[in-house]
Formats: sequence, C-alpha cells, structure tokens
Amino acid sequence: MSMQSSISHYSDQIKQAVVDKQLLQIAGNQSKVPVDDDAQLLSISDHSGIVSYDPAELVVTVKAGTKLSELSAVLAENNQMLGFEPPEYGNSTIGGTYACSLTGPSRPFRGGLRDFVLGTQLIDGQGREMRFGGKMLKNVAGYDVSRMLCGSKGSLALVTELSLKVLPLLEEKTYCIPMPEGEAILLMNKMQGTSLPLTGCAYFEGQFYYRVAGEHPTQDNRVEVSACSNAVWKTLNPFQPTLAPGEKLWRLDVESTNPAIENTIAVGMGGTRRWVASKNKPNHPYVTLWQSRFAPRNNDKPCVQKIKAGLKEVFDPHHIFKDL
Amino acid sequence: MDVIQALEEALNKNSILSSEEACRPYECDGLSAYRQKPLAVALPEDIDEVKQVLKICKAHDTPVITRGSGTGLAGGTLPLENSVILGLSKLNKIIHVDPLQRTAIVQPGVRNIQVSDAAAKYNLYYAPDPSSQVACSIGGNVAENSGGVHCLKYGLTVHNVTSLTVLDMNGETIIFDEKDDGIDLLALLNGSEGLLGVIVEIKLKLIPKPEAAQLVMAAFNSVKACADAVTNVLKQGIVPAGLEMMDKFSIQAAEDFAQVGYPVDAAALLLCEVDGSHDQVKVDAKRVADILTENGAYEIRVSQNEKERIELWQGRKNAFPAVGRYSPDYYCMDGTIPRSRLAYVLEEIDHLSEKYGLKVANVFHAGDGNLHPLIMYDANKPGELEETEKFGQEILKLCVDVGGTITGEHGVGVEKLDSMCHQYPEAELEIFHGIKAVFDNSGLLNPGKAIPTLHRCAELSHMHVHNNQLPHPELERF
Ligand SMILES: Cc1cc2nc3c(=O)[nH]c(=O)nc-3n(C[C@H](O)[C@H](O)[C@H](O)COP(=O)(O)OP(=O)(O)OC[C@H]3O[C@@H](n4cnc5c(N)ncnc54)[C@H](O)[C@@H]3O)c2cc1C
Ligand SMILES: Cc1cc2nc3c(=O)[nH]c(=O)nc-3n(C[C@H](O)[C@H](O)[C@H](O)COP(=O)(O)OP(=O)(O)OC[C@H]3O[C@@H](n4cnc5c(N)ncnc54)[C@H](O)[C@@H]3O)c2cc1C
Repeated sequence: MSMQSSISHYSDQIKQAVVDKQLLQIAGNQSKVPVDDDAQLLSISDHSGIVSYDPAELVVTVKAGTKLSELSAVLAENNQMLGFEPPEYGNSTIGGTYACSLTGPSRPFRGGLRDFVLGTQLIDGQGREMRFGGKMLKNVAGYDVSRMLCGSKGSLALVTELSLKVLPLLEEKTYCIPMPEGEAILLMNKMQGTSLPLTGCAYFEGQFYYRVAGEHPTQDNRVEVSACSNAVWKTLNPFQPTLAPGEKLWRLDVESTNPAIENTIAVGMGGTRRWVASKNKPNHPYVTLWQSRFAPRNNDKPCVQKIKAGLKEVFDPHHIFKDL
Repeated sequence: MDVIQALEEALNKNSILSSEEACRPYECDGLSAYRQKPLAVALPEDIDEVKQVLKICKAHDTPVITRGSGTGLAGGTLPLENSVILGLSKLNKIIHVDPLQRTAIVQPGVRNIQVSDAAAKYNLYYAPDPSSQVACSIGGNVAENSGGVHCLKYGLTVHNVTSLTVLDMNGETIIFDEKDDGIDLLALLNGSEGLLGVIVEIKLKLIPKPEAAQLVMAAFNSVKACADAVTNVLKQGIVPAGLEMMDKFSIQAAEDFAQVGYPVDAAALLLCEVDGSHDQVKVDAKRVADILTENGAYEIRVSQNEKERIELWQGRKNAFPAVGRYSPDYYCMDGTIPRSRLAYVLEEIDHLSEKYGLKVANVFHAGDGNLHPLIMYDANKPGELEETEKFGQEILKLCVDVGGTITGEHGVGVEKLDSMCHQYPEAELEIFHGIKAVFDNSGLLNPGKAIPTLHRCAELSHMHVHNNQLPHPELERF
C-alpha cells in the first residue's frame, strides 16, 4: 500500500466519524491503554516504517506506528540514536511515545523528546491532512505546532509521521558512589555545573549513579567511586518497581535542587524527576499518578485550561478524538 | 480621554513618547526598509505598568506591538499607524542566578550577553549566541526562537528556556513551565513573534563552560567539496560546537575587513569548532582535520591557543558588516536547505544574481542548513529595493522547493508573509489563525505579522496562476 493511500484511509475514517458523531480513540500499540466502550479504535500501528533517513543530515522521518525498537535498530546500524532515550515498554511506537512525550535519563544533558522534534504530518479532527515544521534543524516559519503536540495523547490530532533530529551513538560509562539521597541530590547538581561530559545522574537504592560519555578524566577511586554496569539506566527507564499492596507510583517533576522528598524510591534526570511510592498523593505541584490508565493531573490553572480547551476547538472542533 | 492621555496618566509621563522626533527610533527594527511612526511608544518600568498599558490599549481597541531591542530582521516590530509600541528595554533586571541549579531568571529586556556575563563567575553561560547578542533582548530571542553559531550542539532558544511568565491582552498572567503536563505550550510560545502574549519573565538554563575549544579552518576549491566534507564530519559521529561556511565573496570581504589570514583564493571556507574536555577536544580536532583533508581541503589551520581561536572567528563574526562595506545597503536572507542541496542552491542563486544584476555573498550555518545570502543593493536607486525583495523571495521559494524552509531564525514578521503562502497550504494557515485567536481573541497583539491572511495568499497565487488553474477557488476574490 502506498503511503498516500494509507493516510487517506485514516482521514476517511475520521470524516466518517464526524458524520456518525462517533468518538475515536487513537492508539499505537496500546502499550497500556484499553479502548473505552464509548469509543472506536483508531489504530496507527500498521502505519510503520522509515520514510527517509540521511545520517549526515542528522534527521530521520518515520511513520508514527513504527516501533521504537525498529527505529533504534535502523539508527544504530548507522552509529546513531534517538537522543532522548525513550522508555521501551515492550512494543511502544514512536507516535505513542511522542503523544505521551516520554523521555529518558539524558533529558537534562541532551534534551527531552520535544527538543528533537522537527516536523509532523498529521490529520486533524476534520480529517484534514497537514504538515507542520519540516526536516530542517532550524525552522521558525509559523507556530511550532509539531513541538506543541508533544504530550497531546491523541486528543488533538492523529499524528501520522514525525521528523526527528538524531545524534551519534556515544560510548558511555557508568560510575556509582554509595550515599544518602540528600547528599546525592546535592552532588549531582554540583557535578552538572562542571565540564565533565555527563549524560545521566540518578539516585537509586542507596547509590548515586552518574554516566559519562566519550573521553573524560579517570574517575577518582579514593572516594569510593566504582565503575558499574550501564544497566541501571534501563532499570530506571522505564521505571517499573514492585510496589507494596495499596501503594501507588507517583511521578514528580521538580527543580533539580529540590531537597529529598518523602517516600522517594528513585531520583532521575539529574534531580528533576522523582519517583515516589505511597498510598496518598504527594503534596506537590507537578505530580502524575503512574498507573494502568492515564490519570490526568488536572492541576492546570483556569487560564491554561481555557487555552487548552480553545486549542481543542481549533484542532478537533467536533470532539471526535477521545481525551485520555 | 484618548489612549495617549490615558497612558500618560497611568505611567510616568516620561515613559510615554508620542512626538514625531521621540518616536523616530521606534519606526523600524533591523529591517530598516520598512518604516512607520506609531501612535505612541510606552516604556513601562515594571510588570504592573506593562499590565496597565495592555489594559488601557485593550479598552481603547488599540493594537500593541511588543519590542525588545529592535534588532529583529523581519519587521516584527514594525509599528502600525494606530498602534502603541510596548518597549520593554527598562525591564532589564537579572532577577536571580542560581549556580547550583544552573538557571537564571531574567526580565525580558535583559540583553543576551548580560546573562552569560552574570553567570561567568560560576563558570556557567547561556548557550544561544545570536551574532546580535550584545544588543538583542532575551524577550526578543524567545519571541523569535533565535539561534547562534553554537546551536547545532547546544540548541536554539526553545531548548534553553524552562519557564515563561506571559501577559495576555487583558493583562492577565499565565505561566508556561517545562514541568507542565499535557501539550507543550512552552514550546508554542517560543518563536511566536509577539502574537500570543507579552513575555515578562524568563527562566533560562545555564551550562558549564567547556574546558577547552579548538577551531579548525579549512579551504576548499569548490562549494560541493566543502559541503561533502561537512557531511562526512557529521557522519563520523562528531557534533561540532560551531560549523560555519563562507563563499568566495564573503571570504574576501571578511579578510579585507578583519585581516585574519583567510585564504582569499578559496571557493569555500569552513570553520569547524570542537569543544569539551581537553582530552576530547584533542581527539576531535585531529579527527576533523583528517576528515577535511581526506575530503579535499587544500589548506588547514588548527588554532593553537585561545587568542588564535578567537582571531580566526573574527572574520566570520564580522561577515555582515564586512560585506556591507561593498555596498550602500544589503539585505540579509535567512532560508534553510538540506546540506546536500547547497551546491545546487548556490548555483541557482548565482543565476538569479545575474538575472537581477545584484551581487550576493553567502554565509552558511553548515551544520544545520541555515543559509544567509546577503544581497547588495542601493536603496537610493529607484526601484532597486523592490528588485532586491523580488530576488529575496525567489531565493526563499528555492529553499522551499528543495525541501527547506523560508526562515531558520529571523522569523516571518512582515517580510516573509508572502513566502509563508508558498510554504504553508490553507488548512495549516487556518490552524495558525485559530491558535492566535485562542490566545488573543481581540487580535490586538502584533496584528498582521507572522501569519498571512488566507485572502492575501489567494491574491498572491492569483498573480501566479499556473496552467489556468486557480488555487483556492473557494475563496472570494476582491
Ligand atoms: C504500567 C504502565 C504505566 C504507564 N503509565 C503512564 C502514564 O501514567 N502516563 C503516560 O504518559 N504514559 C504511561 N505509560 C507509557 C505509555 O502508556 C506507553 O508506553 C506509550 O504511550 C507508548 O505506547 P504506544 O506507542 O503503544 O501508545 P499507546 O499506548 O497506544 O497510546 C498512548 C497514547 O498516545 C496516543 N497516541 C498513540 N499514537 C498516536 C498517534 N500516532 N497520534 C496521536 N496520538 C497517538 C494514544 O491516543 C494514547 O493517548 C505507562 C506504561 C506502563 C506499562
Ligand atoms: C547584525 C545582526 C545579527 C543578527 N544575528 C542573528 C543570529 O545570529 N541569530 C538569530 O537568530 N538572529 C539574529 N539577528 C536577528 C535578531 O537579533 C534576533 O531576532 C533577536 O532575537 C531579536 O531580539 P530583539 O530584542 O531585538 O527583538 P525585537 O526586534 O525588538 O523584536 C523581535 C520580535 O519579537 C517580539 N518581541 C520582542 N520582545 C518580546 C516580548 N518580551 N514578548 C513578546 N514578544 C516580544 C516583537 O514583537 C517582534 O515580533 C541578528 C540581527 C542583527 C541586526
């Protein structure tokens, strides 16, 4: 099937849904989201494959249903990678990862998913095919819609294609030092202010972990620094701990220097990400319940809610795409 | 009471300018070919005063055009006759630098270079470095999503802003933060050219200064060889901190101006900077030099110390004024193209240059495909400015046709409204107008800039009817 025809098939489905007043639930591989009774599945997982890739331009264009694992493998053949280290939940798609704006431990050092987005092809809630941005590393023509839609979770448009900046694969080494959480938070902040070529800083189970890329000075062995496996970054990303009965997993976004938070079981992303296991919601402005269904935070201020509601009318005026 | 009186009553009288003479500096920005006296200029001293200006203008149905330092090159701050210019130069305080967190909170009128100056004592700096950094404001940088020579490695403004405080046309405060859930409104505000809100406070990322940096200069006999060499550097997994290319004319002009020893006989010159730890830089500079030699560089110079490195940059950094000496006026274009099409695009620009009888110098951010052709003209010659603009538009069309875009970093402003019609079809433009209306229902914030009306695009394509097929047949034509 040619790319054009597979896209028009999606826009037809959306146009029909407008006529039928049928709610659509967009899904990649449904890594975790079940389809609700009131909605019809609009799956993009068949729309998969690399559209274009020129390693020297540092840009890849890929169909949204492509599995992360496939994409990463193609990049690795050319000694390149996705710079935002997306979590691999099993068969995640690049479109779903984008729609959830999922990013790994390297975020403070190389940037998050949104920092690598250059352009999108999408279909809006009226079934119109569009393109925003492009394949260029620099482009300021028009509003940055393709970055804005990161985190839109299928609520505004069906994303069919993405252009992403890619980076060279790096050789990385991990070191660790045993210490309490509070000290680790302080140390990771101090280290990020030095010229050490860091690509990860975390605290987990009594150890401060840091990861360094490329040529760097030998690490000081006198202060209990030991070289350790890079595997810890996979343990933290995606982070899927075993919880005690009744406990829930909470994802907190904080300033990197935020002191230790009660019930924290891991500190990631250079201190800006805290994972808390507790029965009750931690009292903090930026908390997400990390569970088997999306739990909207609903802590936007009224003025931001109004903007989001307004944008929904712009992209999906008939409210065809289900908000998750 | 009219809007000027109301503003004078609310703010310090000296903060409101309305005479012909006092308004003159605000008649244009860096795109000086376009000029218009505004109704008045308001220069508030704090956020409360900004709010008052907005409320008063809203009440009087008066358009507001936010202005930072006025170095924009696309006419983004061009006044309307009935508009108030909201100048933010007095909001120039660095509110807080947090060395441990590596962030700075600043007011919008702070100049780009001041942030790095303030961070220097902690061995930190603010990475985006537009060539205009001594003058341009952080507010303007955010509104344009500005880049600099180091953005291939360290990112554009959007990559280095973590939070924005914005006022809407009602003077209401909205905060956009990287920690927000759901869609990325923070990203949307970057590059929004003053149409979605007035940015009054910005939180920026600071990064540690690299331990070392080295510059490799290489001369080539052809543009293509130079572009191919860049391709091979990037393919080998090196991400240079800076990667700049100049054509023959720019090399000569820069050398005449700065006398830094550029090879004036070269068809193309490449400046490639690597930075990082001492060990990494040593390895990378050697690899870069080797790759460039293998790819046909006939002369290579590697900076041996900081003084030499800075000197070698001087020619490139002064390329615009250097070219400016050859001509009464020059017009700076800002397209992006895939690097693989550079040789073709430069050839086509040569043809256009002959067609219009206007000389062009080209400087190129080779890492990210951002091309700056500088068209030389004389505004005093009748008709020459118009010809120059036509020439410029043809260059931008060329950029779009090879898969690039009409602006890499300078924005659309008023300058590239027509080119936007070429880049974006109607549905996309409708979405843009929809977004604008969500943020600014009154349409009073910088009206008429950045996004062309559908009517304008229809008119324009009307003038370029191909094969008797009229684009946008559904639109009414006046
Ligand atoms: C136990 C567990 C808990 C998790 N908790 C969360 C959580 O709380 N919050 C969170 O963000 N992620 C969470 N994730 C991760 C997330 O659910 C998926 O791993 C990720 O979405 C990628 O999967 P997918 O590609 O199969 O997308 P899907 O799971 O199919 O879809 C994920 C979301 O993206 C949207 N989407 C998918 N493709 C497109 C497209 N092409 N265009 C537009 N929208 C699209 C869908 O509508 C949906 O909202 C969790 C994962 C697990 C296993
Ligand atoms: C010699 C020279 C070299 C240059 N080099 C570069 C370069 O290397 N890279 C690059 O990207 N650009 C470059 N520029 C262009 C220009 O400097 C940038 O666009 C800069 O970011 C503009 O900042 P400003 O403060 O002068 O903004 P202004 O010109 O005052 O305004 C620009 C736009 O931003 C809006 N705006 C300004 N402040 C705010 C605010 N607080 N809130 C909302 N909207 C606002 C205005 O309405 C306008 O649309 C150069 C310009 C010159 C003259």
